[in-house]
Amino acid sequence: MPPRIHIRPRALRLRTSCSTPVSRVAVASYASVAHVKPTPAPAFERGDRPAAPIVLYPSTQPPSHKRPEERKTQLHRQYQSLLKSSPLMLIFQHNNVKAVEWMSIRRELAIALRKIDAERVAADQEPIVDQVKLQVIQTNIFASALKVVEFFNPSELPTDHSTDPRTPTTARVPLTGNKVDDERFTHGLSRHAYEIANNRKLKHDLEPLLSGPLAVVTFPSVSPQHLKTVLSILSPMAPEFPAPKRKTNPDYYEPAVQSGLQKLMLLGARVEGKIFDIEGTKWVGSIPGGIDGLRASLVQMLQGIGGSLTSALEGASRSLYFTVESRRMDMEEKEKPKEEEKKE
Amino acid sequence: MITRFLTEVRVAFNPFSPRSKPARLFLSLIPADARANGMTVQSKMLPRTSKESATLGVKFKDGKEMNLDLSNMRITEVMEQVDRHSRMLARKEELSGN
Repeated sequence: MPPRIHIRPRALRLRTSCSTPVSRVAVASYASVAHVKPTPAPAFERGDRPAAPIVLYPSTQPPSHKRPEERKTQLHRQYQSLLKSSPLMLIFQHNNVKAVEWMSIRRELAIALRKIDAERVAADQEPIVDQVKLQVIQTNIFASALKVVEFFNPSELPTDHSTDPRTPTTARVPLTGNKVDDERFTHGLSRHAYEIANNRKLKHDLEPLLSGPLAVVTFPSVSPQHLKTVLSILSPMAPEFPAPKRKTNPDYYEPAVQSGLQKLMLLGARVEGKIFDIEGTKWVGSIPGGIDGLRASLVQMLQGIGGSLTSALEGASRSLYFTVESRRMDMEEKEKPKEEEKKE
Repeated sequence: MITRFLTEVRVAFNPFSPRSKPARLFLSLIPADARANGMTVQSKMLPRTSKESATLGVKFKDGKEMNLDLSNMRITEVMEQVDRHSRMLARKEELSGN
């Protein structure tokens, strides 16, 4: 029985170039292998064509700097999307508010907003009550997410790369490598974003506000009407944002609600990327009729301008008309006596 | 922090100033049921442009008043200052056997 020698094609191929006696023996003992012409290596190994791209991560989960399964990481991602998706955001400090108090405050807020939304639905607008949310945030993670949202501008590379015709597959060529430190990643959890969030030289206006226990109220759109309601519930300031009357809304005066509201402090607001203090927030909330009211007043103003413009332009032509007319009258008067003289 | 000897807390600060952090943290140290047990807490928010430093006024049960300028203090220092008198009151209470 011939000795069993395992064929190891890769090892054989490597040894064909070198001339060690061992390899000769191996080749010689396998006459059939030695005589067969070695098949050319596949194209991608020859190196004349680029290798097929291999992406080692799912397209929905690019590699993140911190471990993605941790709560912190997910909160960071959640706060980024919250900051990007809510143009109007109120920032409160909460000082040891109990769970029962949170619950009753949220209840009062929902009731008041639902009333406003009933009016909106009557006016054929979409209700947004379900998206106005009061939530407690982790301050430091929120601060970091804010920096990523404000300062992280991933380089403007084409996001959709066409397939490279030279590659032997139809797979999409990945724009980024598989390593987390690739600077071309555009997601907010990438290492590049993390470095920006940790850059102490970048300062944001909101930063001094972000310390201590915080809660935010987020709105899906800038709606002064809703803002006014929320302000009158959460931090009533007479006379612009009065608290609901005891007769109309007795639930609001329950001890749980009132003791909770005493511990909530309005600090400021973030409206479309700009930071407002309490006065600014009041001003936004007191825009009458919301965005429609603003549009109406703009239209009114433009109409007024149009009216005055036409009257000004008309005025010139009218005055011209009057001068010419008076001149004509004048000339007619001068001509008439002559005609009379001729008749005579 | 010992808060059971405080009867009144007055805080004024500008939230947009980084120096107002101890004032805000002091408010967060007051327990949840303090207001229900008779402590009055007044917080005054200064406008964003004001340069006034954050101030804290505390009244104790024995009538002592304490006014602190928080512009150059850390929260631990504020707690030390307030606790120093609170501990005296606690010792007195203990000795009198109540």
